[in-house]
Amino acid sequence: MLTVGLTQYLVLAAFLFCCGLFVMTTKRNAVGILIGVELVLNAACLNLVAFSRYRVGTIDGQIATLFIIVLAAAEAAVAIAIFVNYYRTLATIDVDKGDELRG
Amino acid sequence: MSTIELLLVTGVLLPLASFVLLAFVGSKLGKPASGWVAVLAMAASCVLAAVALMQWQGLDAAGRAAARSAPVLWATLGGMPIKFGVNLDSLTLIMFFMVTFVSTWIFVFSVGYMAGHSDEIDGVSKFHRFFTYLSLFGFSMLLLVIADSLLLLFIAWELVGVCSYLLIGYYFHKKSASDAGIKAFVTNRVGDFGFIIGLGMVVLFLGDLSLAGAAERFHHEFTAGGPLFSRTFCGLSLATWMGMLLFCGAIGKSAQFPLHVWLPDAMEGPTPVSALIHAATMVAAGVYLTARIFVLLTPEAQQFVAIIGCITLTLAALVAIVQTDIKKVLAYSTISQLGYMMLAMGVGAWIAALFHLLAHAFFKALMFLGSGQVIEGCHHEQDIRKMGGLIRKMPVTGLTFLVGVLAIAGAGIPALWMPNHMKLGLGGYFSKDEILAVAWHRVYGENHGENEVAAGAEIQNPKSKIENATVGTPPPEPRPLSPLLFWIPVLMAYVTPFYMMRCWWLTFMGKPRDRHVHEHAHESPLMYVPLVVLALGTFVSSYYLFRPLVAAAAPHPFLTASYDGAAAEAAEAHATMISHGAHAALATRVGLAFVVGFVLAWLIYRKGLAVGEKLAAALKPVYTVLVHKFYFDELYGLVLIGGTMALNAVSYAFDKFVVDGLVNLAAFVTERLSWFSGMIVDQGVVDGAVNGVGRGTWSLGGLVRSPQVGRIRNYILFAATGVAVVVVWIAFV
Repeated sequence: MLTVGLTQYLVLAAFLFCCGLFVMTTKRNAVGILIGVELVLNAACLNLVAFSRYRVGTIDGQIATLFIIVLAAAEAAVAIAIFVNYYRTLATIDVDKGDELRG
Repeated sequence: MSTIELLLVTGVLLPLASFVLLAFVGSKLGKPASGWVAVLAMAASCVLAAVALMQWQGLDAAGRAAARSAPVLWATLGGMPIKFGVNLDSLTLIMFFMVTFVSTWIFVFSVGYMAGHSDEIDGVSKFHRFFTYLSLFGFSMLLLVIADSLLLLFIAWELVGVCSYLLIGYYFHKKSASDAGIKAFVTNRVGDFGFIIGLGMVVLFLGDLSLAGAAERFHHEFTAGGPLFSRTFCGLSLATWMGMLLFCGAIGKSAQFPLHVWLPDAMEGPTPVSALIHAATMVAAGVYLTARIFVLLTPEAQQFVAIIGCITLTLAALVAIVQTDIKKVLAYSTISQLGYMMLAMGVGAWIAALFHLLAHAFFKALMFLGSGQVIEGCHHEQDIRKMGGLIRKMPVTGLTFLVGVLAIAGAGIPALWMPNHMKLGLGGYFSKDEILAVAWHRVYGENHGENEVAAGAEIQNPKSKIENATVGTPPPEPRPLSPLLFWIPVLMAYVTPFYMMRCWWLTFMGKPRDRHVHEHAHESPLMYVPLVVLALGTFVSSYYLFRPLVAAAAPHPFLTASYDGAAAEAAEAHATMISHGAHAALATRVGLAFVVGFVLAWLIYRKGLAVGEKLAAALKPVYTVLVHKFYFDELYGLVLIGGTMALNAVSYAFDKFVVDGLVNLAAFVTERLSWFSGMIVDQGVVDGAVNGVGRGTWSLGGLVRSPQVGRIRNYILFAATGVAVVVVWIAFV
């Protein structure tokens, strides 16, 4: 019987991270990229909680995760505000169109 | 300033005022008012001169000395004060009077003469131009006469030269006239070159340009044996060179050999100019200068003067025989007479030279104005071969001209048995005789034991006085002169009447040879009044009036003897010397020369030109040489002008090939050098470095901006890749 230990959490977190990264790099929709960012953040949070539970023994990881969740919410608000302005300027939220900073 | 000096200075300034007035408002005054302005100024000058002369005559020796005031300091050059003042003596006064008197009547004549001549430039009458120049000339000549300093004299000298140039070239649209003006000016410059060097020597060795001061220093140098006398150059002492160089100016101005070539050409000017400048006054300036520097001449320099004078009088008299242009005959006779004056200076006949100068001024002005009248009357015909018989149409001109001919020929009654003061004759008779008498005395009377001078009347050689006055080396004994210096002038004294009578006879007597010329001949009163006045002047300007005045100014040279000058204090002794001594020998030889010459001319030309032409054909080689004026113009043309041209060609070639070559080479080298610096150094190296830096920066920029695609997904990919690389790095290395 497979017991759930630190390794399984880390694998899950790595999987989540890779999914997030994949979404971020492949999606042209800005909201999709935001979702990818949330996946990456949560993969990191999962790591924090897992290490806190199996290695440190305190709840520091859980508390940091709580902060990250709040911060992610705030960050999402900021991101969506940027997207609104982005849309107003370019009439689309396809991030590949906004390449004015190309060198 | 004494009254007399004031009169003279005013007399000098009046023509200057007239010049300034005419130069500015002359064109408004027009014709003939501007002419009368000049006449008025000159006449006023003449009156002042006459007053001054009379005052002077009324003064005794002390009064005359008191009348001279100190010269005014003009400038100081290197410690040498330059002072200008009036050289007040009898010679100045009589010259001043002569110049103003003759000029006045020539000016009057000019008003009549120029009225009939074209004076338009571009269709505008420039009548006043002639009188502007004449006034300036009058001023310059009078300034020259009163100058007491060699420098002031030189200034006036040059002014006179300029006026001469302006007046000879008056008809400047005529090529020959403008050429003649240039020729006169350039020839004079040659003489002036010597004059300037002479002045430089005066400044260097004597350190005083005033006439009196220079003479005093000259004497001092001699007694002290200064460098002027101790140093020699080409075998002659520097003092001799100084005298000869100063005399060079006179050679140019007085048209002496070898610079006589300009005067005949100067006849291109209007005839009054010929009368005024080239007969009566300006050419006399050379003689006047010689008279003033007489005290600075050494015996050798004096001999040089005599030889030049002798050559000149001979050449000119011979050439005058064959001239056919009435003005050219007079021109050559002028040169010949000037030669006589120079000869007189050279043999020491100071008084006779100036006496001849004064007498000559009157009769030569008279004859030139007469020729002007003839030319004017005959519609600008100057060839005497086409004239003849004019005496009936122009009686006044013909007779006054005859007076001039008699005067220049030296007509008089050589009455040996009569006392000197009762002799009759025109000016030329006495002056020429006196010149020849002194020459005779110098050749035969002095050193050869044939002294015919009466025992009680031996001449007072000024040397004796000087010897008493100065302790030191006694002046050298005068050298015996070559007999040629006596015999050639005597011979020429026969030639002079011949060519003058030839000219007069061909012009006025015989049958008219050109009907057209004869028919139109006429006289005009404005022009013959001056002739009559000058003819009277010729009678008056004789022994009794002019000679004592000149004699009173005789200098006391200590090196050379002024032979007749010795008699200044002892007029009686002199008169005895002349009458008993030299004159006795001369009377038979020269006294009747004029008769011989006249008769000869009459015999040849009484029937017109035929006999003369036969003679010319018989003596063809001589005639040819004379017609070509001894080939002087050709010789100068060949040697001087040709030489100058050759030198020009050489300089041109040097300029063209050497100088231009150097310049072009320098330009070529510079051009190549700049090409190198521009194309290679600047464009290649400097620009290359700058461009290289720019290009490098550019390509580096292109390189580093290529990842900056501006797409957010790519940035994420880059970041992720980076993280992955770092993780792999940490995990496996």
